[in-house]
Amino acid sequence: MNNRPLSPHLQIWRWGPHMLVSILHRVTGDGMALVGLALLVWWLGALASGPQAYELFYGLATTPFGYVVMIGLTWAFFTHLMSGLRHFVLDIGAGYELDINRFWSIGAPLVAIFLTSAVWSYVFLR
Amino acid sequence: MGNGTSIGKVRGLGSAHEGAHHWLVQRFTAVGNLVLMSWLAVSFLMLGDLTYSAVSNWLAQPISAVPMMLLVVSLFWHARLGLQVLIEDYIHNSGSKFALFAALNLSAIGGGAFSIFSVASLAFGVQT
Repeated sequence: MNNRPLSPHLQIWRWGPHMLVSILHRVTGDGMALVGLALLVWWLGALASGPQAYELFYGLATTPFGYVVMIGLTWAFFTHLMSGLRHFVLDIGAGYELDINRFWSIGAPLVAIFLTSAVWSYVFLR
Repeated sequence: MGNGTSIGKVRGLGSAHEGAHHWLVQRFTAVGNLVLMSWLAVSFLMLGDLTYSAVSNWLAQPISAVPMMLLVVSLFWHARLGLQVLIEDYIHNSGSKFALFAALNLSAIGGGAFSIFSVASLAFGVQT
């Protein structure tokens, strides 16, 4: 009886990487939809409104808080991209073997962190 | 089809025939986002300098304005579908759900239209 799977129950479950990657996919996607798109609208609107409006956007974006937001959005982008690519693989019916599924559940967010640090290392060090 | 429990009311009606469309468009726009965000990332790297004159001159060209408009459509469409699922999953009151869908549609179409118009006004050289 010890090896039998637990039935899905609100209070009886064990934390796993598959749950983490699923939750991260939703959080990063909806986070970018709310924060990222607002900034995209602001950025394009500022560009269309002329140098003064753009200067305000640019000035705020390059404050320490601005960098935190931009690095956060970069992380959200790569995390959503990597788990999204994982979804494409799952959609064609591949990658459901327990060990492979677990491997990419852990791998996708780690690759995203690596890509985020690579991008910002390039920006800060060039 | 019964009229008692919630499941009894819908049993036998078959599929709503709308889920697959949402699912597919979510993926088509995901591919659009992947291609166009790669374009944007490469453009930023090649541009190097993100000051007003550099970015506005770059974005005013048709070769950048058109993919930017397409990116806006793909991103807003994908985000609208994603936020729809968020609302469907967590909001169970149909009145609130209707209000949130209305707000979502207005902001997605409004934000997208504003963004496309901004790019167009840069491209056509209309300065305010």
